[in-house]
Amino acid sequence: MNWLRCALSSSVGKKFLMAITGLLLCGFLVVHLAGNLLLFAGDEAYNAYAHKLHENENLLHVASTGLALIFFTHLYLAVSLTTENRIARGRGYAENQTKRENLISKVRPESWMLATGLGLLAYLLLHLADFTFHWRDVSHYQGLEPFDKAASLLTDPVTIIGYTAGFAFLFAHLSHGMSSAFQSLGLNHPKYNSLIKWGGIGFALALGLGNFSLVVWANL
Amino acid sequence: MSGQGMNLTLRVWRQAGSEAKGEFRFYQLNNVSEHMSFLEMLDVLNERLIKLGEEPVAFDHDCREGICGMCSLMINGQAHGPDNETTTCQLHMRRFRDGDTITIEPWRAKAFPVIRDLVVDRTSLDRVISAGGFVSINAGNAPDANCLLVPKQDQEKAMDAAACIGCGACVAACKNASAMLFTSAKVSQMALLPQGKPERAQRVLKMVAQMDEEGFGSCTNTSECEAACPAGISVDNIARLNREYLKAVVFSDEGV
Repeated sequence: MNWLRCALSSSVGKKFLMAITGLLLCGFLVVHLAGNLLLFAGDEAYNAYAHKLHENENLLHVASTGLALIFFTHLYLAVSLTTENRIARGRGYAENQTKRENLISKVRPESWMLATGLGLLAYLLLHLADFTFHWRDVSHYQGLEPFDKAASLLTDPVTIIGYTAGFAFLFAHLSHGMSSAFQSLGLNHPKYNSLIKWGGIGFALALGLGNFSLVVWANL
Repeated sequence: MSGQGMNLTLRVWRQAGSEAKGEFRFYQLNNVSEHMSFLEMLDVLNERLIKLGEEPVAFDHDCREGICGMCSLMINGQAHGPDNETTTCQLHMRRFRDGDTITIEPWRAKAFPVIRDLVVDRTSLDRVISAGGFVSINAGNAPDANCLLVPKQDQEKAMDAAACIGCGACVAACKNASAMLFTSAKVSQMALLPQGKPERAQRVLKMVAQMDEEGFGSCTNTSECEAACPAGISVDNIARLNREYLKAVVFSDEGV
């Protein structure tokens, strides 16, 4: 299996892993958002979904361990690749400007992938602090049904600011990440290149706005 | 024709040797003709420096017609200056305005150590090419012209990839100093043609391994390389490199 170790530690192999773990995380986000959108369907539907999800604790443990593994692989590669890339540049330029044309915005998400990724990590810690580890004061929603707990948490000022920022990071990260993952996997063809580019931005927007809609819903 | 030339301030990176510290030095150059190429402008600067008894600015150049890939300057933060698909030698002073300050730096990459002033050592790119090895060819008489059929679209893509002049602008423009566009062009030009098929898997694996060993960064798909490339090499080649690499790892007998 030396060939596999060699391949996965090469620059191309690492980009493969980055792309695959990124896409898998996106898959999780879609499912997670789809479940949470049941908040719009009312307390009965949402509570039934939440209870059903937690019925099989063992399955949930396996799934979250797998998810954590994917997440930490993505995070580890991000930090190690960024470090390697900084070293590869060495002394930077006194002046640097792009030669790319038709840029959608002056602030380019591809230059900020580590920053937006770490922003997402901060959001994730806040999210897990409330829903998994109960690091923050839980007295005001202890014993509440999942629907009421979510509705109560989403009106907390720290949650509102943290989550909104988190979803903005998510949009920025995925607006480059999605199309970049396809390119890293070698999926590039004039027939569907523009679909990948705009579809990626659309996907990022859908996930960002979809999640943000829950914050809006709770505070209306 | 034109009366008065431009007055320019040049901010040039000066470094006496690979181990020397290096710093920016300012030079005032007056009456620069807009018809000069960028390198001719540097020639004028050097003649003046020689007259003053100072060390001339070292910079790489050879054919001065955009095909050899020797010239290599970061001009105002852009590889080969502001024009698209243009090498430094083909850039003309009419792109600049009277009173401009022009910053001139060498390519910056760990794999491209500075030799002197604006000259960097790009033999790392040569080593990536040699890692690719030889191509099996028929010896003896020239084969019949049409005995090996190549589809026109494949031939065109291969020729587009082969347009790479190996100047290193892709590495210079990439925020990660990645040589992925260069390597992908060299892999593509062979992988697309039947003559390159026998060593196809071995070639991509070895070239990528060499590229990593030279200390180039990884690709983050920003497409800065494509915009900076004077030969117009497309990032489609990088996707092809990724596919070739995957195929070689998963399906070939290499590395068993």
